[in-house]
Amino acid sequence: MKKCLFISLVLAAIICIQGTNAQTVQLIKFEQLKKRAFNQSDTTYVINFFASWCAPCIKEIPIFKQLIDSTKNTATLVLFISVDFKSEMDKSVMPIAKQYNMPTIYLLDEPNANKWINEIDNNWSGSIPATLIVKRAKRKKLIVAMVDYPKLIKLIK
Amino acid sequence: MKKRLDVFIVCVFTLMSSAFAPMQSHYVNDFLLRNTDGKMISLSDYKNAKGFIIVFTCNHCPFAKLYPPRLNALNSKYSLLGVPLIAISSTDTVMYEEDTYPNMVTKANNEQFNFPYLFDEMQSVAKNFKAQKTPHSYVVWKENEKWVVKYNGAIDDNGMEPDKVSESYVANAVDALLNNKKISINETKSIGCQIVFRKK
Repeated sequence: MKKCLFISLVLAAIICIQGTNAQTVQLIKFEQLKKRAFNQSDTTYVINFFASWCAPCIKEIPIFKQLIDSTKNTATLVLFISVDFKSEMDKSVMPIAKQYNMPTIYLLDEPNANKWINEIDNNWSGSIPATLIVKRAKRKKLIVAMVDYPKLIKLIK
Repeated sequence: MKKRLDVFIVCVFTLMSSAFAPMQSHYVNDFLLRNTDGKMISLSDYKNAKGFIIVFTCNHCPFAKLYPPRLNALNSKYSLLGVPLIAISSTDTVMYEEDTYPNMVTKANNEQFNFPYLFDEMQSVAKNFKAQKTPHSYVVWKENEKWVVKYNGAIDDNGMEPDKVSESYVANAVDALLNNKKISINETKSIGCQIVFRKK
C-alpha cells in the first residue's frame, strides 16, 4: 500500500514537473542567459533565437524538438530564446509554446539589441532565425539561417 | 557546376571581407527601382543630395512595422537639409506574399509615406548594400561622385517604444556628417527579419 502511494506520488510529481516545464514563457535578462549557458563547462547548449512572427523560425521548431528527444540523458540542452516584444508574451509567444508543446521559452527582456548581439557574435547583424551552439563553455558556432538536423548533430558532437 | 563554384567563391570572399575588413570604406552603387507611384527612381535623380538615408524594410516584418512614422519624420527633417530618405523592399515575395508590389502600394498609401518606397524585385540592391534584414538602415554620403556608407544598422535604440528612444543612431550620424564631425557610432545591431536571398 505504502509502495503504491509512493509510486503514485512520484508519478504525480513527474506529471507536475512536465506540466510546469512544458509551455511556460519566462523573462530572462541577457546577463542571466550568459551566466547559464556560457559558463557551464560540462554542458553543450544549443540556443535558438526565434520570434513568434518569424515564419522560418516556426518552421524549424520540430527540428529542435527532434534534437531534444535524441539528446535526452546527455549533457546537451536546447534553449529557446524568444526575441519577441515583452508585450507579446501572452498574446503571441504562449500560443506557439502550446501549439508545438515546447519546453520553457525564455523571452529576452532587453529592449536594445545593440547591447547584446555583439556578445553573441560580432558578425551577426541580428537577423533571425539564428542558432548558437556553445560547447562546454566554449563558443562554437552561430548559424544565421534555418538549421538542418544532420548539421546540428555534427556540430554538437 | 562552374557557376555554382563561382557563386561559392564570391560568397566566401564576401564573408572574408566582411569579417576582416569592417573598417574599410564600403561603396555602394546607384540603382534604378520602381516606386509605389509607378515611377522609376535612382540616386542620381537627386541632383542636390549630399547623402541619403536608405532603409531596407518591408511590409510583413513586425520590427519594420514599428517604424513608418519615424521614417516620415526623418524624411521631413533631413530631405530639407539635402539628405532624403528612401525605403527599399528586397524581401522575397515568393516567401512573403504580403511584400508584393501591389501590397507595397497599399501600405505606402495607407500609412502616407512621404518618401519613396522602392521595389527591389531582383534583390540586387540589397546584395550590393549587404543588407541582411528588415529594418536595416544606411546613411550614405557623396564623396568624389561616389556613394560611401557612413553608418549602417538600427534606426534607433528602441523599436517597441519610440518615446523611450535614447539614441537616434541614424539622425545622429546625419547630424554629424552635416556638421563635418566624426560619427560616434557607425554600426549598430538589432533584431530583424532576415532578407532571404532567392537561390537562382
